[in-house]
Amino acid sequence: MIRAVDVTKEYQTEGRVHRALSSVSFTLGKGEKLAVIGRNGAGKSTLIRLLGGVELPTSGTIEQTMSLSWPIGLTGGFQGSLTGNDNMRFIARIYNKPFDRIKDYVEDFAELGKFLSEPVKTYSLGMRARFAFALSLAIDFDCYLIDEVIAAGDQRFQRRSHEELFEKRADRSLILASHMGEFIKSYCSRALVLHHGRGNLFSDIDLALQVYNDL
Amino acid sequence: MFASTPRHSIGSFELLMFRENLATQSRVVGALLIREVYTRFGREGLGFAWIVAEPLIFAIPVLLVWSAVRGSYERGVPMMPFLWTGYLPVLLFRHVGGRMLLFVRVNAGLLYHRQVTIFDIFLARFLLEVGSNLSAVLVSFVLFYSLGWMDLPKDLSMFYLGYFYMIWWSAAAGLIIGGLSERTDWAEKLWQPYSYLYMFFSGFFYLADWLPPALRHVALYQPYLQAYEMIRGGMFGNVIKTYGDPAYETFILAVLTLIGLLIMRDSRKYVVAE
Repeated sequence: MIRAVDVTKEYQTEGRVHRALSSVSFTLGKGEKLAVIGRNGAGKSTLIRLLGGVELPTSGTIEQTMSLSWPIGLTGGFQGSLTGNDNMRFIARIYNKPFDRIKDYVEDFAELGKFLSEPVKTYSLGMRARFAFALSLAIDFDCYLIDEVIAAGDQRFQRRSHEELFEKRADRSLILASHMGEFIKSYCSRALVLHHGRGNLFSDIDLALQVYNDL
Repeated sequence: MFASTPRHSIGSFELLMFRENLATQSRVVGALLIREVYTRFGREGLGFAWIVAEPLIFAIPVLLVWSAVRGSYERGVPMMPFLWTGYLPVLLFRHVGGRMLLFVRVNAGLLYHRQVTIFDIFLARFLLEVGSNLSAVLVSFVLFYSLGWMDLPKDLSMFYLGYFYMIWWSAAAGLIIGGLSERTDWAEKLWQPYSYLYMFFSGFFYLADWLPPALRHVALYQPYLQAYEMIRGGMFGNVIKTYGDPAYETFILAVLTLIGLLIMRDSRKYVVAE
């Protein structure tokens, strides 16, 4: 379970206080799929950083009993100057998983071939997304934090992601930050619509998307 | 492990888990250390050898030039071992401090992995600098000793104790400067002149005994001068008079370390990821 209670985040910029998130609350149970929708600057990225544990809320609490993946987006904990293999070795070490098993899985899923021995900074956006996604699936989290990524891959990758995440791991929870209505509709049961740092929780996805479109 | 309760609140449950946490901790620090080595030195060319070579490239030319400029003795103390015991600790302090500037911010992405704490990142960077410095101490010593420019320290255990305190001082200073740099730009700006001027007031160029008594009394409050006194005492034995006080040194470094840890823990609040 993940429970956010009155999460507020303020940043100090040039002496002025900017409130990026304002009393956002939600609960996510095991297997639940939550969409986070909002325009640019509405607080989505801030929320992801707080959930990911990189930044701490100014006030409010985030309670977690599930293991949460790093945000599967375009960056997130990878060292660009290191090769794919070295990044995998590092992840395998800190999560205490056998490197060979992780490597096999990533090789098979991400289909990066010889690129795994090249620095990650030379990867295209799509390759990076595939790499990050494959690696997080290999670690096996209770909850996946996904930041608009599946769209970055090609058709084949999208189909395989779907299989791995929504069929084989249907019991896992998901937090999905996305703009794509269709995508959200087919996977999420609830949506958190962010606007100017405030959050509204909807259990009707169509309504949530309508509210978002009217913003 | 994944609970968002901060690590510094140790409840009875976490104390029971201490053994497992310690294993996790050392595994994480080890992984960070390897990552740091690859990131900084690469895997091609000299690779790991840079760990040893980097400080040597600094130290050897500087030591040679100074010993040529200053003559072979100063106030009865042979110059080469005096400079050697002075300069390598300066390098340690500068490199540790420099590596800790904004180290939380540049590594913020690592914090997505819940078992990685800022203290682990600190420890990995610190251990790499210490390892690098100690290997330079060893290699340069063997070189100068075999050239006949230096003798073995007269009192090895005193020498080791002094160097141990010097390493501890660098850790405390690194925590403080690293933590402050996350919170204010001033820390980074002040670090540049401070780390340069450090050469002149730290004890690199002088012994406490050379100071007038009133000034010496005040100067000996400085933890780095205390460590220098012990290193020099260990190097030269009773040819010189030194003033190192392990009890005071342990006390002041413990206080500075505690302050550093508090600043570092507090700096977590100021972390802004990209």
